[in-house]
Amino acid sequence: MTTYVGNRVARVDSVDKVTGRAVYGVDVALPGMLHGAVVRSPYPHARIVSIDTSAAERAPGVVAVATGKDFPHLFGAAIKDQPFLAIDRVRYVGDPVVAVAATSEREAQYARDLVRVEYEELPAITDMQMALDDDAPLVHPDLHTYERGGHEIVPHTNINTLYHFERGDVDAAFAEADHVFEAEYSAHALSHVTLEVHVAVAQYDTYSGDYTLWVTTDRPYFLRDDLAGGLGVDGSKIRLKVAQVGGSFGAKGVPIAEAIAVMLARKTSGRPVKVELTREECLIASQLRVPAIMKLKTGVTNEGFMIARSADVLWDSGAYTAYTVGVAIRGSQTIVGPYRIPNVKIRSRQVYTNKAITGSYRGYGTTQVTWACESQMDEIANELGIDPVVFRLQNGYEEGDPYLNGQIMHGVGLRETIETARDEIGWGSVERKPAPHLRRGKGLATMIKPTLTPSSSNVVINLGQDGRVQVVCAAPEVGSGQDTVLAQMAADAVGVPIDVVSVPATDTALTPYNGPVASSRTTYHMGNAIVAAGAEIREKVLGLAADFFGTDADYLEMYDGEIRDENGELLITLKDLLARHQSEGYALTAGGRYSSTGSPLLKANPGEEWISSIFWMLCTQAAEIEVDTETGVIRVIKVAASADVGKAINPMTCEQQVEGGVVMGLSNGLFEDFKIDNGRIENASLVDYKVATIEDMPEIVPILVESVHNEAPFGAKGIGEPAAAATPPAIANALFDAVGIRIRDLPITPEKVLAALAEKAATEPGD
Amino acid sequence: MTFRIDTTINGDRTVIDVDPTLTLLEVLREQLLLSGTKEGCGVGECGTCVVLCDGEPIASCLVLAGDAAGCSIETIEGLADSGELSDVQRAFVRTGALQCGFCTPAMVLTATALLREDAAPDAEEVKKALGGILCRCGAYPKILEAVLEVSGEGA
Amino acid sequence: MKRLRQFAYSEPATLDEAVAALASGGEDARVLAGGTDLIVDMKTERLPTSAVVNIKKIPGLTGIDDLGEATRIGALTKVTAIEGSQLVQQRHPALVDAASVLASPPVRALATIGGNVGRASPASDLGPALIVSAASARIRGTMGEREELVEGLYVGPGQTSLTCSDIITDFIIPSPPVGFGSGHVKLGKRGGGTDIAMAGTSASVVIEDGVVRDCKIALASLGPIPFRAPTAEAALSGQAPTEETLGAAAEAAAEDASPIGDVRASASYRATLARVLTLRALRAAVASSGGWVVA
Ligand SMILES: Cc1cc2nc3c(=O)[nH]c(=O)nc-3n(C[C@H](O)[C@H](O)[C@H](O)COP(=O)(O)OP(=O)(O)OC[C@H]3O[C@@H](n4cnc5c(N)ncnc54)[C@H](O)[C@@H]3O)c2cc1C
Repeated sequence: MTTYVGNRVARVDSVDKVTGRAVYGVDVALPGMLHGAVVRSPYPHARIVSIDTSAAERAPGVVAVATGKDFPHLFGAAIKDQPFLAIDRVRYVGDPVVAVAATSEREAQYARDLVRVEYEELPAITDMQMALDDDAPLVHPDLHTYERGGHEIVPHTNINTLYHFERGDVDAAFAEADHVFEAEYSAHALSHVTLEVHVAVAQYDTYSGDYTLWVTTDRPYFLRDDLAGGLGVDGSKIRLKVAQVGGSFGAKGVPIAEAIAVMLARKTSGRPVKVELTREECLIASQLRVPAIMKLKTGVTNEGFMIARSADVLWDSGAYTAYTVGVAIRGSQTIVGPYRIPNVKIRSRQVYTNKAITGSYRGYGTTQVTWACESQMDEIANELGIDPVVFRLQNGYEEGDPYLNGQIMHGVGLRETIETARDEIGWGSVERKPAPHLRRGKGLATMIKPTLTPSSSNVVINLGQDGRVQVVCAAPEVGSGQDTVLAQMAADAVGVPIDVVSVPATDTALTPYNGPVASSRTTYHMGNAIVAAGAEIREKVLGLAADFFGTDADYLEMYDGEIRDENGELLITLKDLLARHQSEGYALTAGGRYSSTGSPLLKANPGEEWISSIFWMLCTQAAEIEVDTETGVIRVIKVAASADVGKAINPMTCEQQVEGGVVMGLSNGLFEDFKIDNGRIENASLVDYKVATIEDMPEIVPILVESVHNEAPFGAKGIGEPAAAATPPAIANALFDAVGIRIRDLPITPEKVLAALAEKAATEPGD
Repeated sequence: MTFRIDTTINGDRTVIDVDPTLTLLEVLREQLLLSGTKEGCGVGECGTCVVLCDGEPIASCLVLAGDAAGCSIETIEGLADSGELSDVQRAFVRTGALQCGFCTPAMVLTATALLREDAAPDAEEVKKALGGILCRCGAYPKILEAVLEVSGEGA
Repeated sequence: MKRLRQFAYSEPATLDEAVAALASGGEDARVLAGGTDLIVDMKTERLPTSAVVNIKKIPGLTGIDDLGEATRIGALTKVTAIEGSQLVQQRHPALVDAASVLASPPVRALATIGGNVGRASPASDLGPALIVSAASARIRGTMGEREELVEGLYVGPGQTSLTCSDIITDFIIPSPPVGFGSGHVKLGKRGGGTDIAMAGTSASVVIEDGVVRDCKIALASLGPIPFRAPTAEAALSGQAPTEETLGAAAEAAAEDASPIGDVRASASYRATLARVLTLRALRAAVASSGGWVVA
C-alpha cells in the first residue's frame, strides 16, 4: 500500500521557491569573499606568445592572478584533454586564459581588461567536415598521448572518438530490400540557457590543503573528479556543497566557473573566491549541445517492414571532449530508433574543432539522432503511402523484443505512447486552410533512450528521536522535482507522513556517492536505494514496537507514522514509540545501495552487455502546426506528448517534465540558432539567441503511460530527458503534412521554410 | 560618490545611500540583501530580474539605483512577509507552476501585478503579461494554469 | 554578472542644467531616459560612456497632450503609456501598433519614446511609426530650441543628427485629416510579437473619395536607418486601395529596401519580408482609415 507514491503531492521545494528564499549558487556570499573575472581568447586557434598581467596586478582591489602555467594538469571525463586555463595554446573563442580575483566583481572585470595577451593565430578548424581533411591542422596534436578510457580514437587526426556497430548483413539486406531510402540530416549546437548562470565559490584551506566549493551541479562526484584532475590533487581533498540549481539540463556537470574559482582560491591565502559567468560567457564558453551530421540509409520491404539500416554519424565535440564521447557512442546507437531492424551498421566519428565546447544536453545524443531517425521514418511512410503511425507501430518494439545487442527489453510501452498521442491529436483529420496564407498539418515522432548503465546510487536514511526522517543522498534538486519524488518514496518506504521527510542539500562530505543526476536515472536508481534503506528502517521500528508490545514484528505494519496490528488496529504512533526512548536518546540509521551491475535484465550477446540499459525510455509526440506561407513562420497549435514513465511516482512532476520537454524541444527546433563565423559565435546574447516564451507555448497535453518495470522502485522509470527529443521531428513531420516540404537541417527557421516552399513551387508548377 | 535616495521597499520607507552607478538589481541583492530577485541575462531579455515599481513590472537590471527614489518597489520578499503565502503563491504551489524556481519570483510578481489590475484576465492576457519572462524549464502550462486559477477569485 | 564601468552621474533638475552637463561632459556624456538601450550599450561596451545625465528629474518631459492641430508626446513618455493612450489610438494608430510590439512588458514599462529615437536603431519600432505619422521632434540644445522632422534625424545606424548636448523634449504629431489610417507590422525571430524586428513596416494612407491621396511607408531593419520607401509610396498614391494596388506598392517597397544579412536574417529573406509586411501594414492602414481593400 502506498500513501504518497502515485499522488500529485505538492513539491517540497515550492514554498522556498515562490517566496524567493531558495538559495542558489549566485546567492552564496561568504565573509571576505573575493570575485573573479576571466580573460578569454578572441581567436578560434592561436599560440599564446606572451601574457602580461602586471597592470592587472597593480589595479585596485586585485588580490590574485592565475594563468594556465599555475596548474599544468589536464582533466576530462573520457579523455583528459583540457586544462583549467589555456597553456601555450587557445583552441576556441572564449577559451579561458587568465583569471583575476579582486575585492569586487567590478574591480575584477576592470583589472581583467588590463591583461595583455599576445597571440599568434593558427589555422583553425571551423567546421566538422573540415576536421576530417587529410591535411587538416590538428586541434590536439598530442591527442595520442592523453590519458583516456577504453574507447577508440584515431591518433594524429582530429578524430577523438571512433565507434562501429554491426549486426546482421546490411549489404545483403539492402540488395534484398524493395526500397532503399538515403538522406542526410543535421542537428545544430544549442545552449542549455539555464537561467542561473554558471557560478561557483571556492575556498582553500592553507593548512590542510583542502578545497571547499559551493556549487550548482547535477553530478557532484563526477565534478569533484574533474576538479581533482585539473588541480592535480586527490578527489578526497575536495568538498562540494551544492546550492539550489537554477536549471541544468546537462549543463552543470563539467568544471566551468568551478575551475576558475578553485585556481584563484589556491592563491588568495584562504579567502573564498566567487566566479559568476556572464550570460555572454555562458553562451560562448560553457558547453553546447553536440552538433551532428547524420547520413541515414534504410531498406524497407513493400509491406513496410524495415530490414536494414546503416548510419554514418559525425559529431563535433568542439575544442575539448568534456562529456561528448558518450554522446557520440550512445547517441549513435539510438539512431536505429525504437524499431526492430535485423541488419544494422553504424559508424560514428567525433572530431575536435576550434569551436565552443560541447557536451551533455538533455537527451545525451538522442535529440540529434531522433531528429534524423524520425524524419526519415516519415519520409519512408509517405513515399510508400503507408500511414506514418501504422508504419511505426508495425516496426516498433514490443515488450520482450531483443534490443540491438540482444538484450531482452522490459517495460516497453511504445505502442501505447504512439496510440495515445495519435488519438489525442486527432490523427487523420485537419482543417487544412484556415486562411488563404495559412496551412495546417499534423505530424508524429517517437524516440527511445537508454539510461546510464551500469551506475549506482547510495543513500543513508536517518530517523531521529523527533520522528523526522532525513534522506541523505547526493542527488541535487536541479528543478526536475526529485527532492519531492525521493521524499514520496521515502515516506512510503519507511511508513511516515511526508511532512517529516526532508532531503538535505548535497554535501560530498556527508552525502554518499551517487552517479549523476542525469540520464533520467535518479528516480529509478536512488528510488531503489531508498526503498531498500526505508524498508530497513521500517523493520527496525517494527522490531522496537514488537519488543514493546511483546509481539512478533511480522504482525505489525506502519503507514503514515502509525503502527498497527494485523487487524489494522492502531497500537501506537511512531512519535510516541520514539518518545519512550527519550531519556537515552534514540536514532536509527540505514544505508541503501542500488547498482544495476549484474542485473539479469542486462543479459545480452557476449561482449555487448555494455550496450544494455537497465530501463528504456520511450516517448511519442504528435503535433499540429500552422504555417504562414508568406513568411514561413510556423505556429505550433497543439502537442500531444505521451511518455512511458513506468509508474508515475508523482503525476504532477511527470507532467512538468513532459510539458517542459515540449517547450524546450519547440524552442530548440524552431528558434535557437547560433550564428557562427570563423568559429566565433556572433549572437552571444539572449536578444539574438531566442528561447521560447509562454506566448510561444502551444496547447500541450501530457499523457503518462505506465508500462511498469519489475526492477524499478514502485515500477518507476525515468522521464526527464525523452520529452524534448521528439518535438522537433514531430513539428517537421507536421510541416510536411501541411505543405509538402521537408527540412532536414535543424533549426526549422521561417527562412528555410520559405525557401523550401519556393523551391517546391518552382519544381511543381500548378500545385 | 554616493547618492541618498528615499524610497519604499516592500512597504517600508527606506532611506539609503547608494552608489548611483549601480543598478537597482545590484542594490536590492547586494546592499539590501533581498536576493530573491535574480539576474538571468543582464540586458532585459529574460525578465528574471523583474520587480514591481509602483505596481508595474520592470527589468531591474536596466535601472540605475537613483531611479528608485520616490518609487515604491516590491520584491518577492514582500509578498509573504507576514508568513502567509499570497493567493498567487499558493496557486503556484498547488499547480506545480515551478521547476528550478529561478524565474519564479519574477513570474509570481508579474502575475500579482496583472491580477491587481484585472481580477479576471483570460489566457491570452496572462500570456501577454508573462511574455517577457523566460522559464527554461518550460513550466509555462502550469504557470498559466496557476494564474488562471486565481483569475476571477481576485488577487 | 557584468558590472558597469565607473562613470560620472548627475540628475539635473532643469533642461538648462542638463544641456550644460552634457556640454561639459563631452563626446562620451550621454542622456539617460529609460535606460533600456543605454544601460545595455554600456554593459556590452558598444558605446564608451564617461558621464550619464539622467533627465528624468526634469519636469514637463512626459505626457500625451491634445493640442488640437497636433498631438504632443513628451520625450520621456513611456512606451506603455503610448500603448494605452486612447488619443494616440484614435489619431495615430501605427504608433500604438508599434508601441504594443516594442520589447516585452518589463522593458516597455521603462522604455521611452525619446530614447527610441535617440538610439536610432535601424530596427526601431517607433521610428517608422513616427515617420509615417509625419512627426517632428522638439530639441533643446546649447543653441536653444528647434524642431525637426523625425525622419530627418536619422543619419546612420545608431546615429542621429543630434549633437551630444541636444535633448529631445517632445514630439509633435499633426492631427491627421479625415480618411487617415495607419498601421505598423513587424516580424521577429520567434515569428511575431515583441522580438527585435527582422523587418518592420509602418504605413499610413489618406483616402479621399475612394482614392489614396497621400501615402507614407517607412521601413525598419531593411536599411541602415528607419527610412521611407518613395517608390512604393508613389506607386499607391492616386490609386484606389485594392489588393492589386497595395500589392504593387508592396513589391515596390521591396525594391526601396536595402537590407543586409546579419545574425537575425539574411538579406534575401528580409527583401521578401519587406514585401509581405508592407502589404500587411498597408492593409492595416487602409482598414484603420475606415476604408476597405477591394480584392
Ligand atoms: C530586451 C529588449 C528588447 C527591445 N526590443 C525592442 C523592440 O522590439 N523595438 C524597439 O524599437 N526597441 C527595442 N528595444 C530598445 C529600447 O527598449 C527602445 O529603443 C526604447 O524606446 C529606448 O528608450 P529608453 O528610454 O530606454 O532609452 P535610453 O536607453 O535611456 O536611451 C537610448 C539612447 O537615446 C538617447 N536619449 C534618450 N533620451 C533622449 C532624449 N530625450 N534626447 C536625446 N537623446 C536621448 C540616450 O542617450 C541613448 O543614447 C529593446 C530593448 C531591450 C533591452
